[in-house]
Amino acid sequence: MSFKMLVKSLDGGLPVIALEGEVDVYTAPQLKQQMIVLLEDGAKQIVVNLTNVEYLDSTALGVLIGGLKRMREMDGNMSLICPAPRIRRVFEITGLDRIFDIYTSETEAVEAVGKGTE
Amino acid sequence: MERLECTTCVELRIPCRPEYVGVTRLTILGVASRMKFSYDEVEDVRLAVGESCTTSVDRAEKNNRPDAQIILRSEISHDKLTIDIIDDAGSRISEEVDEGADIEPENIGALLVTLLVDEVEVYRLDTGTHVRMVKYARNG
Repeated sequence: MSFKMLVKSLDGGLPVIALEGEVDVYTAPQLKQQMIVLLEDGAKQIVVNLTNVEYLDSTALGVLIGGLKRMREMDGNMSLICPAPRIRRVFEITGLDRIFDIYTSETEAVEAVGKGTE
Repeated sequence: MERLECTTCVELRIPCRPEYVGVTRLTILGVASRMKFSYDEVEDVRLAVGESCTTSVDRAEKNNRPDAQIILRSEISHDKLTIDIIDDAGSRISEEVDEGADIEPENIGALLVTLLVDEVEVYRLDTGTHVRMVKYARNG
């Protein structure tokens, strides 16, 4: 089972957490920890890139929901990049696609986040 | 050697711990691929099994059962795949709905299982839980 996580800052300092592989009960705690670090660093916007995620379960969804809730409590937001229909379907069948701002590319997400903070 | 009950059964026993849930997903992926399921249906089965095993792992942690195990048993028939997930992770506390609570992963997991397979039954055992799920092959 593979899992990788890469954190980068785009121009303007927007943090992007790029995930790869399987995000489940075993690996999702690493994502949670990374989100806590970014929140403690004062991030108001976070983008989570799920483009290279092959599997995502309810534990991962719980971590993402928790992160979104915390961000919104601080007048921030968390956006997702999720072009893969298989992963997007998990959000759709749970109704979470109506809660998260989900984009299909990093360009689209950055543009939308930029407009939201203007 | 203990024999399985049927000639199309596959059985796997794993430690009830997070790092082994992926093994159950791989196993059921192989089994479901033998059925006349679509690609999406195979993925549904994989996710449902992963969610059910994750619930078992959560219960083992909450009930402090580090030695708990999960048995995954599947049976193929011409029109359906029957999957049994049996754990000795202790009893499941009743799922009381608290309107003010955050969405718990366990609740999302239970929702996913219900949506992804055609039938789900949950039996409480003395030492844990037995979940039986059935997925019908409609392409056959």
